Amino acid sequence: MFSKVQSAALKGMDAYLVRVEADISDGMPQLLMVGYLSSEVREAGDRVRTALRNTGILLPPKRMTVNLAPASIRKAGSRFDLPVAAAILASLGEIPGEHLKDVMLAGELSLSGQVLGIPGTLALVEAARDNGLKRCIVPKENAQEGAVIEEIEVVGISSLRELIELLRHPERARVEKIDTRKLLAYGEVVQKEDFSQINGQAAVKRAVEVAAAGMHNLLLIGPPGSGKTMIARRIPGILPPLSLEESLEITKVYSIAGLLPKDTPLMTRRPFRAPHHTVTPEALAGGGRSPSPGEVSLSSRGVLFLDELPEFRRSALEILRQPLEERKVCISRAVGTYLFPADFMLVAAMNPCACGYYPDRSLCQCAEREIANYLGKISQPLLDRIDICIQAPRLSYEELTENHKNESSAQIRERVEAAQKIQKNRYEKLPIHFNTHLDAKGVERYCSLGEEEKELLHTAFTKLNLSARAYHKIIKVARTIADLDQEKTIQSRHILEAICYRTPDRNYWTQRG
Amino acid sequence: MEQYWHWFCSNLNGEFRLSRLLLQKYYTPQAVFEADIKGLVRPYPQYEEKLTKLDRSRKGWEFEKETEKMRRKKVRFISCEHPEFPRRLKEIPDSPKGLFVRGNLPDDDSPSIALVGARKCSIYGRNVALWFGKSLAENGVQIISGMARGIDGYSHRGALQGEGRTFAVLAGGVDVCYPIENRDIFEKLEERGGILSESPPGVKPLRHLFPLRNRIISGLADSVLIIEAKEKSGSLITADLALEQGRDVYAVPGRLGDELSVGCHNLIRQGAGLAASPEILLEDLHFLPGITNKNKGKNKIALERSENLVYSCLGLQAKELGEISCETGLSSIEVLSILAKMELKGYAKEVCKNYYIVCAPHN
Repeated sequence: MFSKVQSAALKGMDAYLVRVEADISDGMPQLLMVGYLSSEVREAGDRVRTALRNTGILLPPKRMTVNLAPASIRKAGSRFDLPVAAAILASLGEIPGEHLKDVMLAGELSLSGQVLGIPGTLALVEAARDNGLKRCIVPKENAQEGAVIEEIEVVGISSLRELIELLRHPERARVEKIDTRKLLAYGEVVQKEDFSQINGQAAVKRAVEVAAAGMHNLLLIGPPGSGKTMIARRIPGILPPLSLEESLEITKVYSIAGLLPKDTPLMTRRPFRAPHHTVTPEALAGGGRSPSPGEVSLSSRGVLFLDELPEFRRSALEILRQPLEERKVCISRAVGTYLFPADFMLVAAMNPCACGYYPDRSLCQCAEREIANYLGKISQPLLDRIDICIQAPRLSYEELTENHKNESSAQIRERVEAAQKIQKNRYEKLPIHFNTHLDAKGVERYCSLGEEEKELLHTAFTKLNLSARAYHKIIKVARTIADLDQEKTIQSRHILEAICYRTPDRNYWTQRG
Repeated sequence: MEQYWHWFCSNLNGEFRLSRLLLQKYYTPQAVFEADIKGLVRPYPQYEEKLTKLDRSRKGWEFEKETEKMRRKKVRFISCEHPEFPRRLKEIPDSPKGLFVRGNLPDDDSPSIALVGARKCSIYGRNVALWFGKSLAENGVQIISGMARGIDGYSHRGALQGEGRTFAVLAGGVDVCYPIENRDIFEKLEERGGILSESPPGVKPLRHLFPLRNRIISGLADSVLIIEAKEKSGSLITADLALEQGRDVYAVPGRLGDELSVGCHNLIRQGAGLAASPEILLEDLHFLPGITNKNKGKNKIALERSENLVYSCLGLQAKELGEISCETGLSSIEVLSILAKMELKGYAKEVCKNYYIVCAPHN
């Protein structure tokens, strides 16, 4: 008897439907799986047979053929166990075939008949909904995650027996329910890391606020122990709260990467990723035979923190150029192109020299050439994409221990939010949201300057020997500072402040004279 | 005779005792060239190897060819008997027998000061070297230094900025640029001064040649100025040599507690002159051209009140943004914009990310 079930497979960020067909006929007793399968899908046959037997269903000695259509696309992953089992059960007549109509199944089976969790549930459920299906049956541990998608029923099961029960009596299903808005609001409340815990560093805090307001990439320079990492960790906390779409996008990426924490159906906080400096280019940008998202995508809508920037492999840093420019990662394979989001704010930290203490010569023993080489490890194109650079000095004992009333993250976030709102309104008709993404034409159009300001920039350009790119960066940062100030036009003081945040160029550390 | 000196200096570079011995025995390099050098091996067995080498060098030595080689490399050889040989060098103990020169030799009648100091200098040292180099050179003083990393290099750069004449004494050959990061100076020196060395062209800067080089640096100068030296520093050797040669020694004071100040402070304690400004050195040299003290009073610049506050807190020691904000009591945003404004006006300079120094003294 022939039967068919719907399942889905992942391709990059999106999923597409896969039809699982089973047929039982007379012939040599065997279970044959076809449809351009990778070995983990082929092995599903053995898993399903054993799991069925351990659930109490013996397969008859007949020829069983299972086909995964469309047969032209390679299928990988362990999520086809459950639909294969369901298709076989239906062709055996154990469950009525009509109950499988408009149902998407996905899940892995253990030999005992338990249903195990799978990555990417959110994307699978979304694909099912977009294709007009009515119900999804997924592993229990992924059910909450799937339920985030509205306008489709999601049912979680934990064993094969439950599946049979459910398909015999679909009306008895317990449909998973979740309140995304409440989850989002709750995520807001839980903030362990707050800016009020940081003493001193007033200039750094200000620079961080400006960077967050315009989503400018940021470089922190300072000796070891000056709190660079501590500050970076708190940046997601001063970015505006996530919208539902943003939250769904982040959750989807994490779900596909298999990194969604067990008890969190929805990512409610902005991600903060801090890959170690030994990270490979593939881990950073994403890769693999069927590509999975890398650190740049996992930090999308949040912060990608690269500590000890010069220690990173050159090849790894170079790969950041495309995502920084286009805000997405494009991975090409022979079978097609995979797109992942990469709309992150880059925060990098580094020591001023290899030992970390320059220009304090009582501690630093580096030769000037070594210092120049240390900074030279970072390529100019990457430095060009960093708008704001600030120095985090070592704290004195007094600053460290003083019981200051520091500003809390919430207070800073209020201002950041206001500034971002202004930008969103200004760039309503453009595909960008933030000042940092303005191109040269946009700078001309949206960052108009008065006579005095033009004069100032002219002096700066000649006196400080700026490049065209550095010049535009200063204007963009000045625009953000003006937005923080709620000013319509950029004023001299905004430009002056922006000048102090400019990124050093390669010869900067040991300028000659 | 020049040719024989050339052979003599090329082959006896760094061999003090042996060359003194040979000249005592034979009086002139020509006599040495023609003498039976091998006969000296028996009475002086300790020189056997060197004497054999010297003996062999005579066979392959063709005066014409060697002169042509030098001409191609644009290097001149000046022996101690040559009329151009610097007068100051003749006076010193163990005076070099000859110099290889690219460019010019220092003028005997113009004052000259040697600037030396630490290789791994601080930003303060860098700025002082630039300032002194520039200001002394502007007033017609020839700047002598060693073109080493750090203070030496910045002294030369300062002098070049001041459009003055400056001379580098190298340990290796005058056609070997060492260290390579000072290539910019090396290239300019040929026109704007000269490169001198006791070693023949092509010789690598070997370690044992540096102390010998130092005696020429101090020997060429009327006085020696030490900018930044640790407690045990090569610059202090130069200072000792300078005293032996009867030169005046000056030292630039530094901040207490800095390792790089210790050497200079010790020198001052022992009686070295305290170089508080280039003018002091010029005065002591009895060389007082119309010094232009335009910016002597630092606060005379027309600035706004808060700007003045920031400006008065800046110095030659690089100060960090937070420190400035703490000392002036202004918020860091205010300080940032004031600093940017002053940077654009040329009163302040960012020397390292968010570290600032005052700019006016050597403007």
